[in-house]
Amino acid sequence: MTLLEIKDLHAKIGDTEILHGINLTINRGEVHAIMGPNGSGKSTLSYVLSGREGYEVTGGDILLDGESVLEMEADERARAGMFLAFQYPVELPGVGGMTFLRAAVNARLREAGKDEVDQLAFVKLVRAKAKELGVSDDMLKRAVNVGFSGGEKKRYEILQMALLEPSLAVLDETDSGLDVDALRIVSEGVNALRGDARGMLVITHYQRLLSHIVPDFVHILAHGKIIKSGDKSLALEVEENGYAGLIDAAE
Amino acid sequence: MLPNNLQQTAAALAARDQFAATGLPGAKSEPWIYTRLQDVVVNPAQSAQASTSSEAGLVLHFDNGLLVSDDVTAPAGMVIRPFTDADMADFAAYLPDDHLLGTLSVGHVTSAIMIEVEAGAQISDLLTLRFTANVADQSAHPLVFIKQGAGSQCRIVEHHESHAALSAPLIVMDIGAEAVLDHAKMQADTDSTKHLSLTVMAVAEKADINSFTTAIGGQLARHETHMHLNGEHADVALSSIYMARGTQHQDMTTRMLHHVPNCTSSQLIRGVLDDTAKGVFQGKVVVARDAQKTDGQQMSRALLLSRQAEADAKPELEIYADDVVCSHGATVGELDETHLFYLKSRGIEADEARMMLIEAFLLDTLETVRLEELRTSLTTAIQRWMTGV
Repeated sequence: MTLLEIKDLHAKIGDTEILHGINLTINRGEVHAIMGPNGSGKSTLSYVLSGREGYEVTGGDILLDGESVLEMEADERARAGMFLAFQYPVELPGVGGMTFLRAAVNARLREAGKDEVDQLAFVKLVRAKAKELGVSDDMLKRAVNVGFSGGEKKRYEILQMALLEPSLAVLDETDSGLDVDALRIVSEGVNALRGDARGMLVITHYQRLLSHIVPDFVHILAHGKIIKSGDKSLALEVEENGYAGLIDAAE
Repeated sequence: MLPNNLQQTAAALAARDQFAATGLPGAKSEPWIYTRLQDVVVNPAQSAQASTSSEAGLVLHFDNGLLVSDDVTAPAGMVIRPFTDADMADFAAYLPDDHLLGTLSVGHVTSAIMIEVEAGAQISDLLTLRFTANVADQSAHPLVFIKQGAGSQCRIVEHHESHAALSAPLIVMDIGAEAVLDHAKMQADTDSTKHLSLTVMAVAEKADINSFTTAIGGQLARHETHMHLNGEHADVALSSIYMARGTQHQDMTTRMLHHVPNCTSSQLIRGVLDDTAKGVFQGKVVVARDAQKTDGQQMSRALLLSRQAEADAKPELEIYADDVVCSHGATVGELDETHLFYLKSRGIEADEARMMLIEAFLLDTLETVRLEELRTSLTTAIQRWMTGV
């Protein structure tokens, strides 16, 4: 079943067009990877999908479950089932972690017309999921992302994903800043959430993440366009030969 | 406990003469450069409307500037009584010379009350000073004189909920050696009320003071506090939160006067301004030549929720001693777009996200409040203010 359809998407920041016509379809149950060199538009794509202000769509459309999200604010898109795991998770001094997680989950429940979570039950649920992801009780007590190491921040992103159970998860460079052990924990967390209920878009510069989160499809992004698509072997090709040859061949 | 003829005392007459001679500050008056006073109605109320306060507990209720609580039973160790003529002179002596707010309300006093706490008394009851009014064209000038004996402990909260042309309370606190004071002020006057208050604290050695002001009301409000550190090893925290919207104007002006060595003072000030509201922080820390080993900290931050809001900050250090640790700082900023986006990307609606970030901005300052039972009501008041954001 089609989950996400990106159709001829053009987008700019300020006066500079970064995305020059992207086409991509993700079905439920599929994991797609987008690979590309620095400056290819990977992060822009993740921000455009999630509705960040300052990123203007100048052409094309983004459909989630068949509905255009272009007129939706970031929070509406999130409640519609989209989740962005940030490359650089934001520190929020003074915003308590539990307060934050509960606000996010309750926003989703309200949207679905359901009752808000019971506080005690919620704390229990969070602790259980946190434990699986190696997120300590101490981290849960702190302000959001404040004082977390790079790896802790990424684990905390995956914890949020696990709690929000999005239909579409966009993982932006989730491997950056992770050592081998952290990469394994994060990948296991992501893999546990794979399934028929959701699709995933894994954005990465390097192949190494994709040996942990094995994609069904791989797309190469360069200069704001998808220049080649294939299966997981495409990622290995990049690993071996770099991006230059693929980009030259496309031009 | 209606006022005796306090307006006829020598202190009041002198203040009134002085006020008449000086008038309101002009455009070039340095202390009033950011807060211009116009259309200040000085028309002291003659009577109260509320008869006696029905509120339980240790509450002194001033209505239209007149004390209406006539049956307050002070706890052991505390005496509550009206001013004598001599008290007027005594009270006035604590005020800065020729100070507009001092002469204004000493000269036009509507009611004056003395609260004495015996040396060593540990008063656990929270003393509430409630200021209400419902006189759009009159002014209220209540005087409160608190003398806290050595080694005593006291907890005082002021609630200001007046609807008047002007509410201009004067409060003097003389805090004895090793005394402990927890003080909070909640100012939520109506948005047509001008609030001009002066609070003077004289602090003896080893006294420990925690004073917190929350200002969310009034058309124009100036909260001026002068803290005299007169005895060594005194420790003072003087913090505040102000929130204003529409055309409201909030002014926090402090004078932290380190006259002697070895005292500590800290000030955290947080302002939240929306629409075309204006916020002012003027904080001066003065360290006398002999006041070595002074630790004086001051930090003011203002958050602008609208491009038309304005925050003016004038932190000043005047240091004559050479062995001190003093710092000050002032910032003005907006809500961080990346913070907002992060919250929204989790499905949290924009309004709720903004409220979470404003609360976070105020948190470290709120945490300095020592009056535990007040913290909840402070948080509630702040949340209520924010639902209008």
